[in-house]
Amino acid sequence: MGLIQRVIEELGITTVGVTIVRDYTEKVKPPRSVSLRWPFGHPFGEPFHPSQQRAVLQEMFRAVETIDRAGTIVDLPFRWKREKYPDR
Amino acid sequence: MDTVKGASGHTAVRSRALPGHSRLKNIIIAKLVGWFPPLGRTLAAGYQPAVGSAEIPWQPLGKPLSVCKVAVVTTAGIHHGFQPPFDMTDADGDPSFRQLNAATLWDDFTITHDYYDHSDAERDPNIVLPLDRLREFEQEGLIGCLATTHYGFMGHVTGRHLAELVEKSAVEVANLLKKDQVDLVLLSPA
Repeated sequence: MGLIQRVIEELGITTVGVTIVRDYTEKVKPPRSVSLRWPFGHPFGEPFHPSQQRAVLQEMFRAVETIDRAGTIVDLPFRWKREKYPDR
Repeated sequence: MDTVKGASGHTAVRSRALPGHSRLKNIIIAKLVGWFPPLGRTLAAGYQPAVGSAEIPWQPLGKPLSVCKVAVVTTAGIHHGFQPPFDMTDADGDPSFRQLNAATLWDDFTITHDYYDHSDAERDPNIVLPLDRLREFEQEGLIGCLATTHYGFMGHVTGRHLAELVEKSAVEVANLLKKDQVDLVLLSPA
């Protein structure tokens, strides 16, 4: 995934990825990432949990606006199934 | 890459086809990891991803998010039911991609990927491709607009297919995104 991200950014489009395997992302080195220690198949969280899915997206947007060094990985503090997310 | 000399002396590339029982093995492992997620980290530690060059591409956003067109590229193996499935019989994966129409995808989507348990994503595909949430952000004005076309790959592409993924498919997708005047691309794995 990070390799595809690098190609898109290289062609001049801003990118941000979510990773659940930080070790891979450190090796592939995409421009911007947010990292979660969540199970495979759940990069935006649990099914039918909109506030959790929104929280990850909002962190991705924040990463785009704040990361100023290529290759930065932001570790998100969200624990799997042990967080309360604000309602809309 | 496996090569084999043909009778005529030419060299042909041999597909690293997975026998049927290997595919079943992958599906069973994915299920086990689904039930016991820490196992996934142990298995992932044994897999070596491609190493990106030290020079990392960088394109600043250059305008407020509230006027940006946003698209998603996912490697979770999701695609329309009428499209050909990703090739799960090749041990090196499938480097091709599928164009996903946000307006109709939820009506006919399917997930072709043996290397993770996608039963939750089948119930709510927003956990790998959060189109409904992005539509909310569009309505709320946080982002400018959501693109109509998004892109689906399968992860787990390796070996002899890596070059095609990076030099062909990814470049094609990047050009399509450019043509669609997308400002920001979100990438989501399986």
